[in-house]
Amino acid sequence: MKTWMHKLVHFVWPVVAVFAVTVLLLLLIGVDLAQAFRGFFYGLFGNTFQIGEIFVKSTPLLLAGLGCSIGFHCGFINLGAEGQLYIGALASSVVAIFLGDLPPAILIPLMFAAGFIAGGIWAFIPGIMKAKYGLSEVIMSIMFNYIAIQLIALSIRTWIKDPDYPFPMSSLFAENACLPLLIPHTRLHIGFFMALVFAALVYLFLWKTARGFQIRACGCNPRASFCVGVNVNRNIILSSLLSGGFAGIAGFVEVAGVQHRLIDGLSSNYGYLAIMVALLGNNHPAGVVVTAVLLGALDIGGLAMQRQAGVPTSLTTVILGIIIVVFLLRNHYSTRMKEA
Amino acid sequence: MHISMRNIHKSFFGAPVLVGVDFSIDSGEVHSLLGENGAGKTTLMNILYGLYEKEEGEIAMDGKPVEIHNPADALSIGIGMVHQHFQLVDTLTVSENITLGLREQGYPFPDRKRIDQRIRTLSQQFGLDVHPEKKIRGLSVGERQRVEIMKLLYRSAGILIFDEPTAVLTPPEILSFFDVLKELRKAGKGIVIITHKISEVQMISDRVTVLRDGRRVLQCRLEETDEAALSNAMIGRTLTRPRRQKRTFDPSVPRLELREATVCRRKLNVLDHFDLSMAPGEIVGIAGVDGNGQQELAEAVVGIRKVTSGSVLFDGEDITRNSIIDRMQSGMGYIPADRHHDAILLSMNLKQNLLLKKHLDRQYLKHGFINGRKTDSATKQLIRAFDVKTPSENIRIRYLSGGNQQKFVLARELDSDLRLLVAFQPTRGLDIGATDFIQKQLLALAEKGVSILLISTDLQEIISLSDRISVLYMGKNMGIVDNDENLSIDVLGAMMGGRRHEDLDA
Repeated sequence: MKTWMHKLVHFVWPVVAVFAVTVLLLLLIGVDLAQAFRGFFYGLFGNTFQIGEIFVKSTPLLLAGLGCSIGFHCGFINLGAEGQLYIGALASSVVAIFLGDLPPAILIPLMFAAGFIAGGIWAFIPGIMKAKYGLSEVIMSIMFNYIAIQLIALSIRTWIKDPDYPFPMSSLFAENACLPLLIPHTRLHIGFFMALVFAALVYLFLWKTARGFQIRACGCNPRASFCVGVNVNRNIILSSLLSGGFAGIAGFVEVAGVQHRLIDGLSSNYGYLAIMVALLGNNHPAGVVVTAVLLGALDIGGLAMQRQAGVPTSLTTVILGIIIVVFLLRNHYSTRMKEA
Repeated sequence: MHISMRNIHKSFFGAPVLVGVDFSIDSGEVHSLLGENGAGKTTLMNILYGLYEKEEGEIAMDGKPVEIHNPADALSIGIGMVHQHFQLVDTLTVSENITLGLREQGYPFPDRKRIDQRIRTLSQQFGLDVHPEKKIRGLSVGERQRVEIMKLLYRSAGILIFDEPTAVLTPPEILSFFDVLKELRKAGKGIVIITHKISEVQMISDRVTVLRDGRRVLQCRLEETDEAALSNAMIGRTLTRPRRQKRTFDPSVPRLELREATVCRRKLNVLDHFDLSMAPGEIVGIAGVDGNGQQELAEAVVGIRKVTSGSVLFDGEDITRNSIIDRMQSGMGYIPADRHHDAILLSMNLKQNLLLKKHLDRQYLKHGFINGRKTDSATKQLIRAFDVKTPSENIRIRYLSGGNQQKFVLARELDSDLRLLVAFQPTRGLDIGATDFIQKQLLALAEKGVSILLISTDLQEIISLSDRISVLYMGKNMGIVDNDENLSIDVLGAMMGGRRHEDLDA
């Protein structure tokens, strides 16, 4: 009974804390609370299109979040999902633009593979640097974000620029290169479904296979893993490759499913949010799915709140920050409770 | 200056580590504090330096009682300590490190030139050769130690305590360190050296105190004693005779053979042309004081460290180039000394810790996936067979006691077709019950024909388990002796102090 109460309190207080701070902030900026919340929930459940939008937002978060979690499991702190996402998007776009005549059944898997490999390589470089030379993957992967983003900026102004259009963007993909929609009259494409399948696969891989176990063991205690004969470096490199690969798929999904062309600002910080998705989801695929959807919903609700009640979307970012702090605190206390 | 400690008592978690110890130090003498690991030497000096609080007893300076509650108290009455692990900031200069924490004249903008000048003067006076403007980062271990000494001299310490000062030094550095000590003694400083090396005690001290199991067993002037008496006092427990029958082995095909195995680190041969040959079913004990190459020997055999030169043979097959996993799969097991770092995943449960060893074993896989049911039952069976005290197999191994963790590590190693087990300090830190259990398991294993390379600093353990005993000193094999009724503790003690067995016979 007592532990049951404990658990409930444990689960409820973070929610209450976040809610309380949100209300305080809303009062501070002086908006009508009722109108703000009405806007928020209309944004979420107002119509099919809006519901679809939640999942459209969640898809790249989910995929890149899975990627981050694989890295974290092996002690490879990949903060470069943003760059890997962009590079993945670039590779997919190049395939879509130059091989656009192929039938979708061939073209789309090709784009997928290109995104996965390109994103993987982008993380593989910091991975190999860490494994072979002991360099910090944290710094390296963040720096690679800047390179990737500017590489895309460069490309869409030069060699893959749409010649018929004055703005810096690639030409629109052919119909063949676009992911089919799940629900008509929304933007929800099959990418979300794919992401769910991948979440299940990642679970099977990390928890049910020998290789996945090695990756987790290396993250837990690399020295002990080495002492029983596990090749730690190889696991770090593999996990970096997979980690970046999933971020690359997120990039593929964004260009093939949503934008249908490569543009500046393709990702609204999905790669950075993915780090939080992995963190809040406890690096577990199920947790990653749940947090990705919740963060997607927060974003969509925030946008609607801006339209309906004039609350700036900056509020969403502030709330997100508070959520992270509250949950880290909660984890800290729950570990302390267990150890006591 | 005369410091005396009288009737000092101290215990950790209810276990006594110091029982009524007396100790004293005078200006102008070198006093060695000798004893095995865990005898209480460092604890006693940490009390004098204010790092630990004594539970009973008194400390007096020149006859007047003093209270020392922290290192600042100790320094204020002129007692300083150089720890085994130096406490220096790499990126600062020597001079900055020396004055760190002091409020010199002009603080916070001290007159660096004057400070440097004073350091140079002190340096010349004691022959320390310390250069105040150098960065710590570029200094050798010996130079760093001199900076630590300078830190104390700069604070005008009259009593200097050194915790295992030679453990990190190379032989030439040790000699120049002793020269420095002689200068300090001449200048009227009182010096305490914590050590377990008898040879060094004989080279430098005026007086010696021997601690054993937290009690003072001997205190005298150096000239009143000799090597044998010191080693007896230090090891001293009434060591039980071999409790095993003398067994004979067929040495024609050795189970494990090391030929001139050498491991080089920082241009120093930490394992130095080590030869060893052991028969199937034999237990060979490697005795020796900690830090004489034990870690390197164990890791060279199991492949964690590659030998720089020489070779390793396993049942006649040259495995020098084989990987760890090859060696494990061909029947080698390893119990590392530091289980938390080298053997287990603290934040994972018992099943996962079993898998750490078994995840490549076909028995534990089914259609390419890990067989959860097999893992469950195997873990439960090991827990039962080795009497591991745990609420369940799903609990993180972190929450088990050290003894139960070690039982599980042993169980995991023994649960395969072993031919050789390298057991490095297998009972370190365990209580009597767990120690006894593990030692019995090792004996039973040897009966089944598994060879055991037992590397331990616990001489009692070596003597009660081994068929033959070899001594490791500065990475070299000092010789091998049969563990029978002719075994002499004095001979072992002398070998542990760096004398070759063949020289002793002569």
